[in-house]
Amino acid sequence: MANCPVFKVNPAFPGPKQSGPDAERFRSDDEISIDRWIRLCSQCKRCDVACPYGVNPAQIILREQSRFGREHFRSLAYRLFANNYWLGALMSIIAPLVNIMTPRTFVQRVLNVFGISTSIPFPHYRIHSMNRSWRWKGSRKSRKKVVFFYGCFINYNRPDIGRGVRDLLASLGVRVVIPRQVCCGLPALGNGDMETARKFARKNARILAEYIDRGYEVIYTCTSCGLTLTQDYPGILQVPDGKKISENTYNLHEYILNLIQERYIEPIFDSYHRRVAYHIPCHLRALGIGYPAARLFEKIPGLEVSILEDNCCGLAGSYGFKKKHEETSVKLGADAARAIKAVDPDILVTDCGACKMQLGYFAGMPAYDPSEILMKSLENFKAGK
Amino acid sequence: MSDLYDAVIVGGGMAGMMAAVTLVEQGKKVAVISKGDPVCCFSTGCIDVLAYGDDPLKGLGSLPDSHPYHLVGEGSVEKALALFRKTMSEGGMPYIGDVHANRKVLTSLGRWKTTCLVPETMEYADFDPDKYIHVISFYKMKDFYPQYITSRYANADYSVFDPGVITTAGIAEKFESRPFLDTFISWLQGLHIPEGRIAIPAVLGRSLVGDVYRQVSAGCDRKVFEIPTLPPSLPGLRLFAGLKNALLRKGVDLYWGRGIYSVEKLGNRIEAVTLANAGRTTRVEGKAFILAAGSFVSGGLQASMDAVTETVFDLPTYLPGTRDVWFKDDFFAPGHEIEKAGIRVDASFRPIETDIENLHVCGSILAFSEIMKNRCGHGMAIATGVAAAQACGGLI
Repeated sequence: MANCPVFKVNPAFPGPKQSGPDAERFRSDDEISIDRWIRLCSQCKRCDVACPYGVNPAQIILREQSRFGREHFRSLAYRLFANNYWLGALMSIIAPLVNIMTPRTFVQRVLNVFGISTSIPFPHYRIHSMNRSWRWKGSRKSRKKVVFFYGCFINYNRPDIGRGVRDLLASLGVRVVIPRQVCCGLPALGNGDMETARKFARKNARILAEYIDRGYEVIYTCTSCGLTLTQDYPGILQVPDGKKISENTYNLHEYILNLIQERYIEPIFDSYHRRVAYHIPCHLRALGIGYPAARLFEKIPGLEVSILEDNCCGLAGSYGFKKKHEETSVKLGADAARAIKAVDPDILVTDCGACKMQLGYFAGMPAYDPSEILMKSLENFKAGK
Repeated sequence: MSDLYDAVIVGGGMAGMMAAVTLVEQGKKVAVISKGDPVCCFSTGCIDVLAYGDDPLKGLGSLPDSHPYHLVGEGSVEKALALFRKTMSEGGMPYIGDVHANRKVLTSLGRWKTTCLVPETMEYADFDPDKYIHVISFYKMKDFYPQYITSRYANADYSVFDPGVITTAGIAEKFESRPFLDTFISWLQGLHIPEGRIAIPAVLGRSLVGDVYRQVSAGCDRKVFEIPTLPPSLPGLRLFAGLKNALLRKGVDLYWGRGIYSVEKLGNRIEAVTLANAGRTTRVEGKAFILAAGSFVSGGLQASMDAVTETVFDLPTYLPGTRDVWFKDDFFAPGHEIEKAGIRVDASFRPIETDIENLHVCGSILAFSEIMKNRCGHGMAIATGVAAAQACGGLI
């Protein structure tokens, strides 16, 4: 319970132990779920990481959250965010209008009425989204071939990062393919809509499995998408080929480290003199792969990195965008921002899109993706192969 | 450029973390792997070195020859504890006490616990039972009953404050907010507590720098101390956070939340361990390995009906005879024979009866440590962690 960010700031949530394994003993499939507070869990999975005995409270809670969602009325905010992919697609088409409208007071009032929080500004949407970008790069003959799973945040809000990652991988001698893809399914799962989550997941699985069969590996930068692909596809979502996807999916930085370790590339890192606060997203912790971007940062001369891993940003995908979670989210965001400011950084870096939005706002400085730092340092590097 | 670690430490408890501090300060590249948060989170946050006599270091002489402390030696135990204190002070959480003097700490049952080094917030916990003591309790706080304490001492009283929440973590979080702290301090001032000491369950803030404690002390102008509570124990959590943050600051790589899936050996050397991830394993390669996975509670050792096994490298374990020899009904009886079970090591903390060359073992998994009997848990973990790391560092 001491690891649970929600529990710390919201006494209404009984904590992972009580709402997970403890309450589970009293639950029955024959009875309708009555644990209204189950939705207070933000699925940061810090309890799963903390427990040394292999109990995964967040998994137990997730199952119950999706049962609760099935058995009870879900408000508009839940339905909207579950379909974040379609929402994003729409917003992206009318991006200039959206970007002008969302900061306006009357629009925000309307959003509040529908249970949507406006405590942090809405992200800017981009017309030229990722799925309208150049769909491949690098030689077909390359020994290393990857499919890039970019995720909704990069797709609709920060396609520049996505295109940067594509170019970075290509410059490292890796062939990158960016097939049509949909949302990983996590927003639907987190908003209690297992059916929609499965639909998304099945669609992605078909596409990704086909590439894997042809010798490609899957790369992600969004740690939440990554966790969903590797943990939930074969797990709670029971996707066909889930295991295959899980076995062949890599974090971008983990993948680059492997390239270096296998001596496929021996990159020369240019110096980059900055003091960096690296906020570790909860789901990067949950992946259990260590902090591969931090290991790459160590190779960059001049870069001084402070790793901050004890705070959840509090936004947790769409969790903090719901009015009822606003207070929890704001408190956690302010806490995490304090920790960032305490190291007095030149720049803030974090992998997760939600963390970027939340902490960029609360810390009052733009939040960068770790890959953007690599791009800077490897600007002049081209793999000779 | 190779991405090989100089040392990979299996186990993120006191021993493993102190081993990591030792090696990283020698300039080594270190990784720590842990299945989850260690048992020191459940502890009082105090460093017990040895519960015998007034001077725990002098008491080492009275331990049987087989005890792991003898592998370290008195002088090195003292140095290891100094390194621990230095590491914690750098993180803003100084430890109080003299390594040559045991001290007492009041427990939530009103009894005394013998320990050696204590966090700043427990500096005044060894109060004089004849002088006045005032216990502060919190309304409906779980697992804390001030009457346990006041009924034991003639000169004691208590007051109850209502923080609005009932759990230790919840109350500690409240103390992080300035208005709450001010309300509490003015309430405390309004009590007009007579000259004496004030005892408060360990909920004075979640962060480890002790700001809340210092402000409460200054606000009521009395000597204040914290009483360690049942888990979740804030002083234990602060201790863990303090050490873990030190590792991050010094550039140690952490792999948290996943157990070891397999071990790759080549000849007499361990080449890598792999972590069990959702679908695929993550490989962590190292020149040397340190096992600090803890004993039965942490899962480093596992007992079955007829054997005790070591769970990561499958090392040969020592057992004090067959089950009918060591079995006793009362597990908590001091001096239970099963406490001697564990891994036997040579003078450089390498496991004996095995051909593995690049493995060192430290912490409570060591045979003959008898932690509950000797009450030497954290002290021994720190001492053997540092010593094993030094032995390991000399070879890589």
